Amino acid sequence: MTALYGFYVLIWPAITLGVLVVICRAVLRDRRKAKEEQRELV
Amino acid sequence: MNSESLYQFSTLTVILLLLAFYGGTYLMTLGIRKKNEDADAFMVSNHRVGFGMGAASMTATWIWAASFYAAATSGYTYGVSGPIHYGLWGALMILFIYPFGRRFRKLAPNAHTLGELIHARHGSSSQLILALSNVLGSVISLMVNFTAAGALVSVLSPLSFQAGVIIAGFGVLLYTLWSGFRASVMTDFAQLVALMAIAIVIIPAVFFAMGGPSELVAGLDNLTVEQANLFSMDAILYQGAPFFVAVLAYAIGNQTISQRLFAVNESHIKPTFITATIGYGAIVIGLGMIGLMALTLGVEPMGGDMNNLIPQMVSGYLPPLFIALFFILVIGSLSSTADSDLSALSAIMMADVYGKNIARGKADPKRMLLVGRLTMIIATAVGIVFASFSLDILVMLVFVGALWGAIVFPVIASCFWNRVTNQAFTTSVLVAMVLFCLARFELLPMTGVSGLFFEVLASIGGGVIVGLMVFGFLGRIAGFIAAALALAAMLVFATDFLRDYTVLLASLTAYGASTVVCVVMSLMSRQEDFDFATIGERVGDYDSQKPSVQPGGAAPAGPAVQH
Repeated sequence: MTALYGFYVLIWPAITLGVLVVICRAVLRDRRKAKEEQRELV
Repeated sequence: MNSESLYQFSTLTVILLLLAFYGGTYLMTLGIRKKNEDADAFMVSNHRVGFGMGAASMTATWIWAASFYAAATSGYTYGVSGPIHYGLWGALMILFIYPFGRRFRKLAPNAHTLGELIHARHGSSSQLILALSNVLGSVISLMVNFTAAGALVSVLSPLSFQAGVIIAGFGVLLYTLWSGFRASVMTDFAQLVALMAIAIVIIPAVFFAMGGPSELVAGLDNLTVEQANLFSMDAILYQGAPFFVAVLAYAIGNQTISQRLFAVNESHIKPTFITATIGYGAIVIGLGMIGLMALTLGVEPMGGDMNNLIPQMVSGYLPPLFIALFFILVIGSLSSTADSDLSALSAIMMADVYGKNIARGKADPKRMLLVGRLTMIIATAVGIVFASFSLDILVMLVFVGALWGAIVFPVIASCFWNRVTNQAFTTSVLVAMVLFCLARFELLPMTGVSGLFFEVLASIGGGVIVGLMVFGFLGRIAGFIAAALALAAMLVFATDFLRDYTVLLASLTAYGASTVVCVVMSLMSRQEDFDFATIGERVGDYDSQKPSVQPGGAAPAGPAVQH
């Protein structure tokens, strides 16, 4: 029960971390592509 | 508003924190300034915003200061399931608009606002109804965010509420005014990274500082049976159901979402919306858990104000550095939403009002930019005044909610069904608004035949909501089946029951009435079926030389252009 509630609370920051990594990697990729195509990121 | 029990920063510290935040954000935008101004880029960038920036911007925009406070309040009020019933439905608002968003983008790849698409489909009256609902929504959002800044500053420092409102207003305007939407997207990314990093640290920090999982489980004894139940009916009926009703309305009625929809690279729409859905849900539900922690510990919100819950927990369990991080978290979230509202408002005034209704296809991009920037300045002033005087916006909120509910079906149907007419769109929204008012303010007795009449309309509204959601993902047949099943269930369970829940009854009535009127008038119309291919020709960029055509007329309205 204790572990389950611990998981229930801590899973959200863990998912947030996962999404943060995905977004940062994607932005780096976008930036590299924009440079290659000689255009602005936004 | 100041409280001695919360940690207090000195005036200098708070000013330095705000200067660092808004100064840093402003410096970021200097790198994207253009010598040759571009009205299209000011509204939607280059229509090629990548997945990463798009997802970050969508998430940051959808998270506003109220998201944290309301999620924590939900956790504190409804217990274990409370944060989910706030965060999940808020997240699904992003997800459920995505299938319709793909259709909008396919019909009008170069649009800047959803209003432009509706203008090309129907003409001015329908477009202006949509634009009005977008404007009201963004002004309210702006005011709420500035209010949150004032409240936070006054709670954590000796500075006044008004000082916080004014600093936030000018800070956001400062970095958004010059580059518009591009500045909003660029800064959204930085703000979201900060916001996520802080949330990742603060949630476990508070959790372990209060004693961790064992303390949380021990505190479950303080909860009522309903609060301890993950499938609490109270949480579903009072928190989840009203949000469920609003899922499509919020997304359709919000130009900040459509603006990003038209800005993101078309092939990245799906991953962008899915990532934003997951990101929003995780952050908001996670911070809502702090409300649950407060409940299990038996913490009472200071002064009875639920908005104090998170500051109280952070202040009570963590050192001042974390309180400073929390301060930045809230300022970042409210600023990212406020800058998006300013960009949304400017795009509506530039494209929907000036471009389509004043210049009528002969828009001067330089004048458009002037219109956009003046809109931002006026909107900021209005937001600051409304927030500073704590004006009562309840009536405005009620009407905006109704308007958003009333336009959902006509907007979506107009993009999929070629028989919907301008008259059907406009009349259905107006009739729905009248019927909404009759139900919401109980201008007719909600008993006997009239009570039954509104319950039937509301049941149709329930069927429409479920049907549209299923239609978006699974197609027409599944949508019709789901709508029919939902309608049947509603007629069985809502009859002689829903009349006691005025707010829900009125909201569902708006959906149901607009659908019935729109469908009946469209079927009765002898107007020629609409050719969707013409929308793409009628909605174009303002800075290019590409000609555009006015709806319903053979005469070209000319390029939307003069340099």
